[in-house]
Amino acid sequence: MLTYTLLAGLLFGLYFTLIGLGLNLVFGVMRIVNLAHGDFLMLGAFLAFWLFSLFAINPIPTIPIAFLVFLLLGFPLYYLLVPRLLRAKDPEMLSFILFFGLSQVIQALATILWGTSERSIPGGQLGRAIAAILSFVTGRTIENGPIEILGQSFPAAWVASGIASGIGVLLVYWYLYRTKLGYLTRAVMVSRDEAVASGIDVDRISAIAFGFGLGLAAVAGVFAPFLLGSITPAMGAEVTITSFAVIVIGSLGNPLGTLLGGLVYGISYMFMQSYYSSWANLLPYLLLIAVLLLRPNGLLGRQARRA
Amino acid sequence: MFGKVRLSLFAALLASIFGTAYAADAPKEIKLGTLYASSGRFASISMPVHYGLKLWIEQKNAEGGVFVKAFNKKIPITLVAYDDQSNTATAATLFNQLITQDKVDLLVSDSGSVLTSVGVPIARDNKMFLFDQTGTGAAFFTPDNPYIALMSDPVSSVWPKPLADFITHDGNGLGIKRVAMLYSTNDFTGTQANAVRKFIKESGTDVEFVYDQGIPTDTTNYAVLINNIRATNPDAVIHLGYAPNDIAFIHSLEDGGVNFKFLFCIYPGLETELLEKNLGVKPLNYIFTYVTSSEIEYEPNFGMKLKEYKELWNKKYAGGNVEFGFNSVAGYNTGLVIEKALSVAESLEQLEIRKAVFSLSGKLKTLDGTFELDPNGAQLGMSTPIGQINVDDHDHVKFVTVWPHEVANGKPVYPRP
Amino acid sequence: MRDVLLILVPLVAAFALLPFVYSNHLLLFNFIIFIVLAQGVNVIYGFTGYLPFGYVGFFGAGAYGFSLMVLHLQAPPLLAIVVGAAAALALALVLTPLFRLSGAYFSIANLAASLAVLQVVANPNLENYTRGPYGISLSGIFNPPLAYATAVAILAMTLFAVIFLRNSKFGLALQAIREDAISASMAGINVVRERVIAWLLSALIAGLAGSVFAWYASVFYPETVFSGEFTIFAIVFALFGGTATLVGPILGVIILYGIYNAVGISTPQYFQLIYGALIIGLVLFLPNGLVSLLRRWGIDVP
Repeated sequence: MLTYTLLAGLLFGLYFTLIGLGLNLVFGVMRIVNLAHGDFLMLGAFLAFWLFSLFAINPIPTIPIAFLVFLLLGFPLYYLLVPRLLRAKDPEMLSFILFFGLSQVIQALATILWGTSERSIPGGQLGRAIAAILSFVTGRTIENGPIEILGQSFPAAWVASGIASGIGVLLVYWYLYRTKLGYLTRAVMVSRDEAVASGIDVDRISAIAFGFGLGLAAVAGVFAPFLLGSITPAMGAEVTITSFAVIVIGSLGNPLGTLLGGLVYGISYMFMQSYYSSWANLLPYLLLIAVLLLRPNGLLGRQARRA
Repeated sequence: MFGKVRLSLFAALLASIFGTAYAADAPKEIKLGTLYASSGRFASISMPVHYGLKLWIEQKNAEGGVFVKAFNKKIPITLVAYDDQSNTATAATLFNQLITQDKVDLLVSDSGSVLTSVGVPIARDNKMFLFDQTGTGAAFFTPDNPYIALMSDPVSSVWPKPLADFITHDGNGLGIKRVAMLYSTNDFTGTQANAVRKFIKESGTDVEFVYDQGIPTDTTNYAVLINNIRATNPDAVIHLGYAPNDIAFIHSLEDGGVNFKFLFCIYPGLETELLEKNLGVKPLNYIFTYVTSSEIEYEPNFGMKLKEYKELWNKKYAGGNVEFGFNSVAGYNTGLVIEKALSVAESLEQLEIRKAVFSLSGKLKTLDGTFELDPNGAQLGMSTPIGQINVDDHDHVKFVTVWPHEVANGKPVYPRP
Repeated sequence: MRDVLLILVPLVAAFALLPFVYSNHLLLFNFIIFIVLAQGVNVIYGFTGYLPFGYVGFFGAGAYGFSLMVLHLQAPPLLAIVVGAAAALALALVLTPLFRLSGAYFSIANLAASLAVLQVVANPNLENYTRGPYGISLSGIFNPPLAYATAVAILAMTLFAVIFLRNSKFGLALQAIREDAISASMAGINVVRERVIAWLLSALIAGLAGSVFAWYASVFYPETVFSGEFTIFAIVFALFGGTATLVGPILGVIILYGIYNAVGISTPQYFQLIYGALIIGLVLFLPNGLVSLLRRWGIDVP
C-alpha cells in the first residue's frame, strides 16, 4: 500500500507538473496571472475528445497536434491582450480580472457548442497506442492494459502522462537554457524593463512564451479524460487553482521547480487520500499558504516575493 | 414594469376581497414556474428533467390544455422557466421572482437536492406548494411544512433499502460478508451511505464493513482509493457518488485492470446513456445498479408508457446534447402528477393543490412507478429495484433485475467474471 | 458630509422604501449584499492595492459564525450577527501574515485560504459542529423583513465607513502607502498597522454581509456561502465602477448586477459570454472604471 501510494503520487505529481508548466512560463515571463489556464487545458481535452469521437484519432498523435494548434493560437491572443494590459498601472492585478473575463468567454462558448454533460474517452484507447509503442521500442509483444512498475500495476495513461510530462520539462529546460531565444526569455524574466532597454524584442519573446504556455496546457488537456475521469466545459477553474499551488510550491521561471512542486503536491495528495481521505482536498491550499509564508521564494527559488 | 406589478397587486387585492367568487372565473392560462440549470455542476441532471417537463407541457397544450376540475375545463399551461446556472443564490432569487413577480400558479423546483434546498423555505414562507421533482434531501420533509412533496424518486433515507436488503439476503447467501463502501460527501450520496450503513447493521446478519470512507464530491482521482479498497479484500464494493464520480471511478477500475467481485454504482442505472458514452459498454458489464423507470416497463394507470415516451423524446430531442435517462422520465412524471392533481383539485388554492397531490398517494401509477407519499411529503414509492447490467453480443446494455424478488427477472452473476 | 447627504441618505432611503413598491425582496436584498461586498473590496483594494481574491472567505465565515451561534446556542439573530462579524475578523487576523507577500502572491494565498476554510467547514468529520457538507437550515429564526432591515443598516454603516476613509487622515495615509509604501513610511506613516486596519475593516464588512445573508437565506450549503462568484462579482463590480471612490462600486453593482438580472435570466448562455467580453474590454480600455470616464467628461463624482 505504501509503495503503491508513493508511486501513484509520483505519476500523479508528474501530471500536475505538466499542468503547471505552461502557467509557470507565462507567469515567469510576463508577470501576469493567466486565470484561463485551466480553460485552455479544457479546450485541449475537448480537441482530443472530438478528434477521437469524430475521426477515431488516438490521443497519442493528438498530443503534437494540440501543442501546435495552441502554440499558434497563442500569438494572436498575446498581441490582442497582453501588450495593452502591460501598459496599465498595475498589470499584475488587472491580469487577474482580464483573464477571468477570458475564462468566462471560453467557458460560455464551450457550453454553447458542446453542452454540459460529462465527456470522456474509453481508457483502452490510450493503452492500445502505448502498448504498440512499447512493443515497437522493446521489440517484444506488450499487451494492452495496466503497466507494472515495481510489482504495482498502474493505468497506461498515467505512465504515458508521466513520460509526456518528463519530455515537457526537458523541452522547456532545453529551450530556456540551451537556445538563444531561451537566453533572451530568461533576460525578460529577470527584468522586463532592462530587457527592453537592451534592445530585446520583448513582445516577440513573450508571445512565444505565451504560445508555449497554451500549448503545454493543451497537451495536459489531452490526458485529462484519463487522469481526471471526465471533462466538462466548467472544469477549468479548479485546474487553474491546483496548478497555481503547484507552481508556487516550486518556484517561478524554473521548470525544475515546477517538477518539484508537482511531485510534492502529487505525493502528499496521494498520502492524504490514502490515510485521511476526507481531508485530502484541503492539502493543496495549506501547502500553498505554508510554502508562501515559510519559503516565500518557493522550494527552489531565489526571486523575492515579499512586499 | 412597475405598472404591471401594481396591477397584479391590485388583482391580488381584489381576489382576497371577493374570495372564491373571483376565482370562479376561469383563467386564460395556468402559470407553471420552474428553474433549470443550463450550465454548472448540476446541468447534467437538471436539463433532462426540465426537457421532460417541457415535453409534457407541449403535449398538453397541443391537446388544448390541461383539464382543471376547479373550472371544469381545459386550460393551457404557460411555462415560466429561468436558468439558475447551478448557483443556489441565483436559484433563490429566481424562486422569489417566480412567486412574487410572475405569480405562478404552480411552483416546480429545479432538479436535485442542492438547487431544491433553497426553494424549500421560500415556498414555505410564501405559502406556495413546491413540486419537488428529484430533491431527495431527507431534511426537506418536516411535519411543520405542508408546502412540499417529492415527485419522482424516493427520499434519500429510504432509497437504498433494496440495495441493503439484497446484500443482506441474496448477497449474503452468495457469500458476501465483507463490504467496502466509498461515498461522496454531499447531501444526496452522503444520506444514502448513512442509510445503507444503518440498514445493513440493523439486519442482524454477519455482513460487516471492512472499508467505509467518505470523500469530497469533487474528487476525480480514484487510483489510490481503489488500491486501498482492494487491500481490504472485500466481497462487495458499494460506490455512491454523482455521475462524474461514477465515471471517474469506473474509468479508474478499467484502466487499472481491477475487478471487484461485486460492484454497485448509482449512475449506470440512472444515466445509462451518459455513462455508455463516457466509458463504452464493456466496463459497465455486470455492475449492479438501481434499475430505474427508464429501464423497467411499469404498467401505468395514467400517462404514456415508457416505450411511447422514449420514442417521443428521441423524436423531439434527436441529436441534442441531452441524453435520455431516469431524469428525463422524472420531469415527465412531475407533469403527470400535476395533471392528475389538477383534475381532482377543487380550486387552485395552494393547500387544496396539496390535498389533491396527497390524495393520489398509493393510487397513481405512472411510467415512473407507484406514487406514494408519507405524511410530510417524502416520496416512499417510485422505488428502484436492484439490477445487474448485462451487455449482450451486440453491445447493448440490458438490465437483469435481481431484487426484490417480485420484480426480479434473473439471477445475479457473482463473482463478477 | 456632502457625500453623506447626497449619496448615503438617498441610497439607503431608496432601499428602505423599494420593498413597498417592488415585491421581489430577495432581489433587492442581493443588490444590497453586492453593494456592501463591492465596497468591502473597495476598502482593501482601492485603498491599499491588495486584491483579495479569497474575499468570500470572510463572507462565508460570517455566515457560518452566525449560523453556528443560532444552531448551537439558540442565540437571537442580532447577537449572532455580531458573532458572525467576529468570526470574519478572527479569520482576517489569522491571515495578516499574508501581507508579507506581494502582488499576485497575496491574491493567490488569500484565494487558497478561503478554499481551505471551505474544505474545513464542509468536512464530514465535523458534521456535529458545522453540519459538514449537508448544509445549514435555520428555519426557526426565518424572518425576511427583519433581516432585510438589518441589511439596510449594514449598507448604511458600510457606506459611512467608506466616506470616512476617503475624507480622513487615515484614508489619505492608506492612499499614500498604495502609491509608494517606502516614501509613506519615511513620512512617518505606520505602514503595517494602517494596512492591517483596512484589512480588518474590509473583513468586518464581508462578515456582516455574510451573517445577514445566512439569516435571509436560512437554508444553504457550504458551497453557497463560499462560492467564488461572490468574490468575482464584488471585484468586477468595484472595478467596473472605479475603486477608491464612493460612487464607483455602487454604480458598478447597479449597472452590472442589473444587467445580470435583466438579461442573465432569460438568455443565460450568451450572458456569460457577454459578461466575459465586457470584463476584457473594461480592463483593456477602462482600467480605472466608469468613474474615470465620468471625470474625463468633467463630471465630478466622489
